[in-house]
Amino acid sequence: MSLEFKKNQVHFKDMVGVEDAEELLEWLQKTPAAKVDFSACTHLHPANLQVLMAASPSIMVWPADAAFSAWLQSALDQHEDPY
Amino acid sequence: MTPLLEQFLSEARDFLEGIGEKLMQLEDAPGDAELMTALFRMVHTLKGNSGLFDFPEMTRVLHAGEDLMDAVRHEQVEYSQDLADRLLDAMDFVGMLCDEVEAKGSIGAHHAADSARLAESLRRLIASVDAAAAVVAVVASALPNALTETGIVVAEADLPPLVDIPESIRMDAYRQACGGVDLHWLDYTPAADCFFQGDDPFFQARGTPGFLWGSITVRQPWPALAELDAYRCVLEFHLLTTAPREQLDEYYRYVPDQVRMIPVTPLFLALPQGNRNGGPVAYENFVDKALGLLGANQLEDLVLAASNLIELSSLELWLSSALRWLLLVMELEPENRNAFAKIIESLRRQSPPKWTELLPKVTGGNPPAKTELHLSQHSLTPEEAEVMTKMLDVQREILNLPIQENWQLGRIKAVAATLTGCLMASGDVAARAGLEAATAMALEEAASLPLLAWLDQFQQTRSTASVESLVNQADVGVPVPRNLSEIQSDLSADAVRVSDVDAEAKFGRRAEDAGIGPKSLKVDQQKIDRLMNLIGEMVVSKNALPYLAGRAEDVFGVRDLSREIKAQYTVINRIAEEMQDAIMQVRMMPVSFVFQRFPRLVRDTSRKLGKEVNLVLVGEDTEADKNVIEALGDPLVHIVRNSLDHGFEQPDERRAVGKPVAGTLTIRASQESDRVVIEIQDDGKGIDPDIVKRKAYQKGIIDEATLERISDQDAINLIFAAGLSTVDVISDLSGRGVGMDVVRTAVEKVNGAISLESEIGKGTRIRLSLPLSMAVTHVMLIESAGQTFGIPMDSVLETVRVPCASISSIKQSLVTVLRGNIVPLKSINALLAIAAPPQANSDHELAVLVVRCGNEAVGLLVDDFRETVDIILKPMTGVLADIPVYAGSALMGDGSVLMVLNIKELLP
Repeated sequence: MSLEFKKNQVHFKDMVGVEDAEELLEWLQKTPAAKVDFSACTHLHPANLQVLMAASPSIMVWPADAAFSAWLQSALDQHEDPY
Repeated sequence: MTPLLEQFLSEARDFLEGIGEKLMQLEDAPGDAELMTALFRMVHTLKGNSGLFDFPEMTRVLHAGEDLMDAVRHEQVEYSQDLADRLLDAMDFVGMLCDEVEAKGSIGAHHAADSARLAESLRRLIASVDAAAAVVAVVASALPNALTETGIVVAEADLPPLVDIPESIRMDAYRQACGGVDLHWLDYTPAADCFFQGDDPFFQARGTPGFLWGSITVRQPWPALAELDAYRCVLEFHLLTTAPREQLDEYYRYVPDQVRMIPVTPLFLALPQGNRNGGPVAYENFVDKALGLLGANQLEDLVLAASNLIELSSLELWLSSALRWLLLVMELEPENRNAFAKIIESLRRQSPPKWTELLPKVTGGNPPAKTELHLSQHSLTPEEAEVMTKMLDVQREILNLPIQENWQLGRIKAVAATLTGCLMASGDVAARAGLEAATAMALEEAASLPLLAWLDQFQQTRSTASVESLVNQADVGVPVPRNLSEIQSDLSADAVRVSDVDAEAKFGRRAEDAGIGPKSLKVDQQKIDRLMNLIGEMVVSKNALPYLAGRAEDVFGVRDLSREIKAQYTVINRIAEEMQDAIMQVRMMPVSFVFQRFPRLVRDTSRKLGKEVNLVLVGEDTEADKNVIEALGDPLVHIVRNSLDHGFEQPDERRAVGKPVAGTLTIRASQESDRVVIEIQDDGKGIDPDIVKRKAYQKGIIDEATLERISDQDAINLIFAAGLSTVDVISDLSGRGVGMDVVRTAVEKVNGAISLESEIGKGTRIRLSLPLSMAVTHVMLIESAGQTFGIPMDSVLETVRVPCASISSIKQSLVTVLRGNIVPLKSINALLAIAAPPQANSDHELAVLVVRCGNEAVGLLVDDFRETVDIILKPMTGVLADIPVYAGSALMGDGSVLMVLNIKELLP
């Protein structure tokens, strides 16, 4: 299982496939203050990414891979440009 | 290259030619529905064929063409000249791809963009009836941006948002670009339904070669979570990469229509970022000082001053970012003064440097402009100068148009943009101030007059000045609509810049440069046959030379001449043989042409019969003469049907005897010396000789005595006899008693032989042996009773001279023993009813020609052996056709007629 749900946290593990998006969406719909942990994630299918972007949960840990992390941050990081 | 691909290429060329032809015909008769349907069918077939291979570029264009033709066929879109042009363009493109496939075996990825553009151009015609208008709009709107080629963009708004990229990455990219690397900005917009096609665009984007930086955005605001469709892709990916264009094209070759690649001019990356407020007060002074230093060419001092200022400023400041860029640019492009000035000036306003103003020239697609942002003077080629003159003329016409209130401002802006572009292209910076003033005035007054005045003045100076002070324009022709009325309707101010689909990219293969034709020809078979006949005659007449040599020696007594003729003969002989071989090669076809119908036949027939049969085809690439291959078709179908119908048992029957439920039918082709051998083998129930015997007896094919003593093998061979069917029920497949008899006749007609082996319970094997070619027959000449006869070499086993003493007689037949085997001897004179005894030579030896008759060897007593010759065997005609003893006749080199014997008929 590439997605692990713990209370209001979801842990992404390894490769998160397209079929997980549905479950993720359902979970996010009923979990208002969701938190995401990418620490063990190496890739996620963009369907999941869309769900996350739409739900904008807070991200606790970004992935270890710097390039991957940068991709995700460009999509999910809510910090406004300070300038 | 596989045969399939070869065939595809050859067919594709035919289709392309056909499509071109049909389009031409349609020009004369646009309403011809039949032509239209034929055209559609061609495009359709070609598309389908191309889909067999991994040529997405080709298939995409053809698919669009097919859709378009379909729409035309259903009268949703009207046939037009424009449509024909585009379709022809598309076909030229496909032709070019075919050439490339032929040359390299694959299609280069760099065609993806062209392919997408062509496909779009075709589809645009389908989109709506307004398409035509839209096209004009495209051309017209391309005008103000005439200087922007697909990639490089002049208008600020069209620049990729490079500022989104963190400064450190931009600096890194800039460094790499200055080191000679191409930079590309990529917008990848996956199709909405791409997830359903198993795509992972994120993965695709992550794997982009030369990846430097990427971001993901979304096309539209997110709906409420409850309404979100997770599987509809609305993401967009943006990347900066250092990979060369070809590599990117290759990487995104399956989705070229979803990717926009923009070459990035390195300097465009120099966009300072940061907090605009604060910083040392000194910076105002710095600008003036720096410009002064720059003017005085004191670059080292400038670097020092900038470094000092950086040290004084906080890192996050916009100011220090700009200074960092200044230092970097100075380091990497020390010659580019203009760039330094731009950055320094930008400090004053704290707005990013307007690099677009420095844009020097248009590059033809890739590679993007390297770092040469110098505004040095280039020279325009005469054509470019002419284009520019035309452009200026068109601008004048636009300005002279009657004033239309809504459009006037937009029109002026568009003209001003075009003129600015022209000035930039020509490097004529001096004139720009005047143009800007004139534009401002024109906008203020909402009148064209100031611009017209400026234009007049400019053109005057231009015509007097040498055209050489103009820029080296790109080699891409700038589209200039000649007809102003076309523009007029569409030159609305907000006509958006559209990368022009139609105005460019012709794909080489115009009518005039079709120099390199396809490598394969389609030739009417009659022409080949004629060639064949001619070479036949050549072979015959070449055979006259040895006679001539003989006459020279014997009759005229000139031995030297005779030798020379013989020497010459060998040369001609060699050439004639090679020619003959070459023509044979032309006529050769692989047996797969016959074999290819079997998978379907076997499948359909076995299903109908409720049997399970696996077909195994072996040696499909074995080649033989076209006539032989064609003659093979029907007999093979008969044999296969027979096998399926009678040979294989029903599945439960097979299971009961312990055989695999599915039977195996093997058709194997191979070459044995100068013959093609085809074996059809099944693992069915075999032929029961008893049943065949009894049937044959019932039908009166054999008499009772034969029934008793006939061997099993002979009994089985009875199935080749006419009128025999072992099955009582006549089905639509077989059982009419014409099958095997027809097969044998057909095979023998092409000088073939057929044999059959069968074992009850194990299966049947039928073996066809056919000559590779039927054109030339190799015969041995023999002499008997003063006459010369020909015997086909394939039945000759050996020639021996047997002493009369070794010939003994058993009853009334003569026999001799050859290497321990008894060989029956027959006198050819007796067989031909010539009343003369065989003549022995001076050593009392008789000439014996041992021939094969069926499976036996028979010795023919002849008077003498002669040489072997190649002849063109002509079958007997007229009354002589009824004499089966002769296989045919041939003309000899000395003009005499040679009768060729048919050994099978000759021997009782």
